[in-house]
Amino acid sequence: MSNKEIIKEFISHELLHDSRETPLNDEDQLIELGIIDSLGIMTLLTFVEDRFSLQISGDDLIPENFGSIAAISDLIERQLNR
Amino acid sequence: MDFTFTSEQRELRKAVIDFARRELNPGVVERDRLGVFPRDLWEKCAKQRILALPFPVNLGGDGFDFVTTVAVFQALGYACKDSGLVHALASQVICGIQILLFGNESQRAALLPDLSSGRFIYSQAITEPGSGSDAFAMRTNAVKNADKYILNGTKTMISNGPVADRAIVYAVTDPSKKALGGTSCFILSKGDPGFTSGKPMEKMGLRTLENGELIFCDCEIPHTSLLGHEGQGLIMFNEAMEWERTLIPACLLGELERVLEETVKYAKERIAFGQPIGNFQAVSHKVATMKMNLELGRLALYNAAHLKNQRKHAALEASVAKLFISESLKQACLDAVQIHGGYGYMTEFEVERELRDSIVSTIYSGTSEMQANIIARLAGL
Repeated sequence: MSNKEIIKEFISHELLHDSRETPLNDEDQLIELGIIDSLGIMTLLTFVEDRFSLQISGDDLIPENFGSIAAISDLIERQLNR
Repeated sequence: MDFTFTSEQRELRKAVIDFARRELNPGVVERDRLGVFPRDLWEKCAKQRILALPFPVNLGGDGFDFVTTVAVFQALGYACKDSGLVHALASQVICGIQILLFGNESQRAALLPDLSSGRFIYSQAITEPGSGSDAFAMRTNAVKNADKYILNGTKTMISNGPVADRAIVYAVTDPSKKALGGTSCFILSKGDPGFTSGKPMEKMGLRTLENGELIFCDCEIPHTSLLGHEGQGLIMFNEAMEWERTLIPACLLGELERVLEETVKYAKERIAFGQPIGNFQAVSHKVATMKMNLELGRLALYNAAHLKNQRKHAALEASVAKLFISESLKQACLDAVQIHGGYGYMTEFEVERELRDSIVSTIYSGTSEMQANIIARLAGL
């Protein structure tokens, strides 16, 4: 699975509980759509750090990095390449 | 997992216990009655370097790790009967951690030395008259213009608020966005135009901790007052809460240890029906629950502390520690008063103050109900 697919599966199962009739797209605005909220971002951060063995902190902890599946995937790629 | 203290941690704990008993406890009943912040004792704690523990040496700190900081604050909570002062100190350290994690280089260099030394007192301002648990329904807003932000709004019940020289203030910066992306964090200083603080609010417990309003009326601050990035407020708040829900429970666990010790001592000395009351199961089972919760609370606390020490996220673990330890302390204080009987209700025996101080621990830093919501969500619901 690609990073995007891993993230999409997590969000679908853990944040949306598969309640949507249409699948998520990579560019869907997760915050504006209310899919990621104040508690959801805690869940997502914990998952991403555990799944990809990363530590996300400081300047990387900005909403823009969690705004879409594509943005989260880019963040992971940048972290892995450091 | 090995949560055994190192020899250095044991020495630090012993030093802070000796210091607190010698310097901080005399006069605590009278200070509680007057409800005044003990600035002289704050300065003694600062000289003892309690506020400097987790901050880098080059920024005025002493460079200890977070587990050591937690261990020392547990010892302080245990030995210092002035729980209001202990809370004031812990609040200062939490403010410093936010600056350390999210401040830019010049903010860290400018602010942390005076925070670590205790020269300037800090407060963290989130709660508003219309928003407590629903923190991000806040109305305080900051409008950006060419060279300044202009803040308007009121924060309330802010710990250290009336005595603070500086405040970390959360405000809405983009009302068109949700809380995640629409709120930001600022550092204000006493004397900023349009920034005033109210008088201390009378309250049930933690009476030496001063809580009050912070009022912003067309308060102008430069863009450099922004902490972190614009729109980062909610994420910073979540981060701050993980540290806060680990450090403050350390103090509460120390208090639980003291309440247990005092209760055991009383139950062995107090004679009823020809024998120490501790011989009766109605008493001994309450003591057993206190001890069990102390041991379990210790595991929960140091589990969260070790994760934070590794800079890992620990929202679940911190909420578990906060919920379990604060509820355990409140129940232990209720039981301690009951075991002490009529004397437990008398100010002289000091157990009633422990109870009054403990009650708010299940309210501040996120109520027990909010902790349960977080835990349930992170458990997969």
